[in-house]
Amino acid sequence: MGQFLTKRLLSMVLALWGVTIIAFFLVRIMPGDPIEAYFQANHIPVTEEVIQQLREEQGLNESLLTQYVNWLGNAVQLDFGESFMTNNPVIEELVMRFGVTIQLALVSFVVILIICIPIGILSAVKRDSWFDRLTRLTVFSVASMPSFWLAFVLVYTMALKLDLLPLMGWGTVDMMILPALTLALGVVPYYVRMIRTSMIEQMEQPFVTFARARGIPEHIIVRRHIFKGTLTPLITSLAMTLGVLLGGAAIIEMVFTIPGLGRFIVEAITARDYYVLQAFIFVISFFYIVINFMADLVCAWIDPRIRLKEDAS
Amino acid sequence: MKSRVIFIVSLAVMIVLSACSYDGEVRETKNNEEQANTLTLSWPVDIGEVNPHLYTPNEMFAQAMLYDPLVVYNNDGTLSPGLAESWDIASDGKTYTLHLREGVQYSDGSLLTADNVKRNFDTVIENSEAHSWLEVVTVIEEVEVVDELTVKIHLKEAYYPFLQELSLIRPLRMLGDAGFPESGNTADGIKAPIGTGPWILTAYEQDQYAEFTRNENYWGKKPSIQKVVVKIIADSQSRIMALEKGEIDLIFGSAQLAPTEFTTLQQNANYITQVSEPLSTRIISMNTTYGVTKYKEVRLALQHALDRQTIIEHVLNGLEQEAYSLFAPGFPYSDIEINEYEFDLDKSAAILDKAGWIVDEKTGVRVKDGKSLTITIPYNSDDQVHKAIYEYLQGTWKEIGIDVQLIGEESQILYGRSKAGEYNLIMNDSWGAPYDPHMYLRTMTGEKQLGFYAKEGTESNEQLTRDILRVIRSTDEAEREALYESIIQTIHEEAILMPISYRQNYLVANDVFEAITFSPQQYEVPINLYEMK
Repeated sequence: MGQFLTKRLLSMVLALWGVTIIAFFLVRIMPGDPIEAYFQANHIPVTEEVIQQLREEQGLNESLLTQYVNWLGNAVQLDFGESFMTNNPVIEELVMRFGVTIQLALVSFVVILIICIPIGILSAVKRDSWFDRLTRLTVFSVASMPSFWLAFVLVYTMALKLDLLPLMGWGTVDMMILPALTLALGVVPYYVRMIRTSMIEQMEQPFVTFARARGIPEHIIVRRHIFKGTLTPLITSLAMTLGVLLGGAAIIEMVFTIPGLGRFIVEAITARDYYVLQAFIFVISFFYIVINFMADLVCAWIDPRIRLKEDAS
Repeated sequence: MKSRVIFIVSLAVMIVLSACSYDGEVRETKNNEEQANTLTLSWPVDIGEVNPHLYTPNEMFAQAMLYDPLVVYNNDGTLSPGLAESWDIASDGKTYTLHLREGVQYSDGSLLTADNVKRNFDTVIENSEAHSWLEVVTVIEEVEVVDELTVKIHLKEAYYPFLQELSLIRPLRMLGDAGFPESGNTADGIKAPIGTGPWILTAYEQDQYAEFTRNENYWGKKPSIQKVVVKIIADSQSRIMALEKGEIDLIFGSAQLAPTEFTTLQQNANYITQVSEPLSTRIISMNTTYGVTKYKEVRLALQHALDRQTIIEHVLNGLEQEAYSLFAPGFPYSDIEINEYEFDLDKSAAILDKAGWIVDEKTGVRVKDGKSLTITIPYNSDDQVHKAIYEYLQGTWKEIGIDVQLIGEESQILYGRSKAGEYNLIMNDSWGAPYDPHMYLRTMTGEKQLGFYAKEGTESNEQLTRDILRVIRSTDEAEREALYESIIQTIHEEAILMPISYRQNYLVANDVFEAITFSPQQYEVPINLYEMK
């Protein structure tokens, strides 16, 4: 296990360094810059001299390599610079909003688990029953709906017409239900199908037949033998989804007026807010990498074959 | 296995609980008594720290609520006293003496004084890079305190719109001394938004809401409404639903509702809907230094091929008025008779035929000396109204052999293209009060500006530049009138700008208002004039 850990940690650091390069240069190859974007957003006609002068002051006239090295040097000390839009330290801006986005992502994540695992298992166990057919039909329909439309249908019925839940906002439990559900529904079909297919595959394995022959009760077979076998691919995949949920909540945040990161980043792109975007790409990638690392650890913990294989190689 | 399941389940429960424990203090802050006299409105973006001397992310309507101008711009284009009760202008137009109103209190109780006014001017001038476009800032030589309530402003040279620009929402409105940061320079941010305006900012949660309370010590007519809650709602459908549910009372402005959304709501009798007077002009600007729009006959043909009526009816949902003149009557120096270019496709075709642009049978596009009559029009791909107008033009102009290339681009890329002058036509709306007409015209003298590219390739280029630079320095009213008349007529004759319509603002409200209106400055919401039932 020790060797396994060291190897994973090393590759994680390397990946993060690569991310800093991509984050920096990806943002810089966009046409325009924060100075021009600022004047343009305010419809201010401005001379080239003023733009050059401000670029100079902000250090945007130095070579890209120098700028990258300076940025990286500060970033390792968690100083990501100041936002061009708000003049506040980027780290403060991100931390404040990231908390909200993480909450939204985690609640959706739990919603995904609560919906998908029981339905997926039941659908596989009762294969071709009316329940399985209904599930497949529903899953198919939900998968073909765009998330913003689904959001509107939910808000229109649940909040506006039936007045069961708040229309928008953030801060209390009832406010979280609709956005978390909408965000979750985007990936629910994928997981229901994945769990179902993977369970069915496992059911056809010889060890299941042997277990039945040994007279083990069916519910234990399902839980210990069949479901456990689906766990490894499920966890790896869920880890990726958590990353997607963190980075992809912008539309949901707009519709439900949630003061999260997504909306802020959309504004930052228009404003070419370099330091915000660089830090955002870095932080999101960091989370992706860490979550995946943790998923690998969990898989190794659940499935000894993985850690034994890694240690042996 | 069992312990693991328990572990995972308890982890999930913890996550949900931790998410739920987030304490949102926002919610409903109003109690029942206030509620009757509280106006809740939506706004698409956060109001910022509401620094009176800076631009984004500070929202103009919030700046206008908290801070007062020295001079007020009225609906009819005239000026009236604000924080300055009266003023004297030296005969050479280079010295303005402002007499401040006595006893005006800031929201922290301090008094408005000449020293404080000078401090505001000085900090704005210190940051003059950011205001380089605004002559009201750059033209100032020095601000002198004469006595406790008198300031004398010395200008480097005469600038007749000086008072008019003092009415701007930013950057020359007054901040109380206690609002200045340690450095004394408000470009570094402010300590607190302390103003003399009709409202005081009493609560604020970034990206969520802002609450303004009536300033009981306001020097002017106190607002009838007691509290204003601004809810930040980024999405227009969400705003409409919030209005329907009664969570907000008012959606103000075309920035918050597309024309189609407005007209849909207009049909619903439950809502109050209003449309303002013309606030600015929707103008297509031509580039006289690029491609076929270098030729005057092509420009003239395009002018006659512009069907304003159809555009207004079908694209703008009938919400704007046809415009033939650059600035709506009612703007200063703008009541000018011009010889309108009427919509007539046959006339357009005849002009082009006469100039030697002959239709190529194969392509259907006109050609002259091997060059085809292709017009490049870039636009912001997010702007559905622009896109629809241009697509309509593309269809109509094809009939007379003009080929239109539309290029939808992201705003920054479009900006880069416009600065490089790589277009034939582009949207270049007028600025509205109190900038029009002088600022819109003055921008035509600045390099790489849209107006510059409109003027640069014409035969009247030098004369226009000279007249525009002269008019803003002139201290003689009659001379100014004559110069504006000449400038606007020349622009019209050169056919370089195509006014389409006078833009109007609109609002939708629930039926809770006794009185509701617009301000001549398009970014201002004059809530101090509103009354609720």
